[in-house]
Amino acid sequence: MNRPSAPHRESDATRGETVANASAGSKIKGLKCRECGRLYPAVAMHICEFCFGPLEVDYDYEAIAGRLSRRSIEEGPKSLWRYHELLPVTGPPSVGLHAGMTPLVHAKRLGKLLGLDNLYLKNDTVNHPTLSFKDRVVAVAMTRARELGFDTVACASTGNLANSVSAHAASVGMKCFVFIPHDLEAGKILGNLIYHPTVVAVRGNYDDVNRLCSEIGGEYPWAFVNINIRPYYAEGSKSLAFETAEQLGWRVPDQVVVPIASGSLLTKIWKGFQEFSKLGIVPANPTLRVNGAQAEGCSPVYRAFVSGKNHLVPVKPNTIAKSLAIGNPADGFYSLDVVFKSKGAIAAATDPEIVEGMKLLAETEGIFAETAGGVTVASLKKLCEEGRIGRSDLTVAYITGNGLKTMEALTGALPDPVSIDASLSSFRKNVNPSN
Amino acid sequence: MTQMRLHLTFPEDRVREPIVYEICKNFPVVVNIRRADISDDSGWMELEMDGEVADLERTVAYLRDRGVVVAPLEKSILEG
Repeated sequence: MNRPSAPHRESDATRGETVANASAGSKIKGLKCRECGRLYPAVAMHICEFCFGPLEVDYDYEAIAGRLSRRSIEEGPKSLWRYHELLPVTGPPSVGLHAGMTPLVHAKRLGKLLGLDNLYLKNDTVNHPTLSFKDRVVAVAMTRARELGFDTVACASTGNLANSVSAHAASVGMKCFVFIPHDLEAGKILGNLIYHPTVVAVRGNYDDVNRLCSEIGGEYPWAFVNINIRPYYAEGSKSLAFETAEQLGWRVPDQVVVPIASGSLLTKIWKGFQEFSKLGIVPANPTLRVNGAQAEGCSPVYRAFVSGKNHLVPVKPNTIAKSLAIGNPADGFYSLDVVFKSKGAIAAATDPEIVEGMKLLAETEGIFAETAGGVTVASLKKLCEEGRIGRSDLTVAYITGNGLKTMEALTGALPDPVSIDASLSSFRKNVNPSN
Repeated sequence: MTQMRLHLTFPEDRVREPIVYEICKNFPVVVNIRRADISDDSGWMELEMDGEVADLERTVAYLRDRGVVVAPLEKSILEG
């Protein structure tokens, strides 16, 4: 229950200060409160001590503009680090060197079915090394954490984030702590144990785990990726926008559809496009609409959108889309704001619709996405049916994780294999060759 | 003395009630509101609460019993 004691706060602050000072004149000016604008050094902190607003990285765009060009990007590595100038690290990348630069697929078959001529899918099901978009944010968070002198990384997660943090920590020999609720299914955590982190199963419900992790985040000198390192961690998601623009031939799409969990991904994709436009890397597209996708069983942002309010009411998640099951999203308000500001919309998908979305994506484009991908495709379908996305709109939907991670969602949803005897006659009798 | 920093969300049927007054009256805790947005039908508040651990825990339990959603400032930390 103790909040961070003074010595720990000082040690955390000191841990970043040397680097922050050393980087004076570089691209990072510091951290800035999103609410009151108060400035802080670029250290490991995430909340404004004055107004409790969230902190964001404050960039020196003038300095960046002098160095960044399409050419400089194209000459960079084939990973998200080609956008190093717009990522919140001061030195060379040291963790997650191969994350990003995932395929942007022109989804002609799915597009035809949905009535879209220009549908693209940003396919992070093949992100490296753990097959979800979390490899982007973790690569950035841990590179920054190492710059700030941390030797231990931590997170609270039931899935993709834990996977990514554990794998990246193993790859650079950092100590790693993963917090999970004690009643999480064993299968969910096996994929983490292979990387040998310390997995801490907390007796209590999700609210209890949240509170405990907040307290631990303040108490221990660890890089808690989505607590004290959150301002840097969240910035990694911008790379999805940067890659999209580059892969579209240096264009900003007309419509994007983004799954909403904490809401950070959606706001950062928006920010990424804004930054590229502001720096002249792409022509601005003032008609870009940012659309959100939520699972109906955990849809606080969708509900606020439908009611036209900007207050979010937390919910108890009850959906198969576990990677989106955040009932009290930290950036829910900000994601809603982006959707309203860009004149976008939010749709929500029921569990059966999520499974149908996964099947549709696999059957039309050969992409096996996790349940979050099903949410995105099902929501995209709804937005098309509602006439919110037009046939000729250049549309990009974000598929954020691999289906191999959520196989259980498909139990009973797929046909059985055709079972035959080992004879040609049995094959002829049971299999229709025109299928 | 220990300090907790909390994000409270008030449901529609509780938003008009003087819940902060109640916790200050009923528990030996010091409440310092740092940020809030309250409307007719919903609202949230971010505050610091100082007191002994047991009293803070009892206050949190009381708030939850009253239907207030109590979370750390970071809200949902546990991610998928």
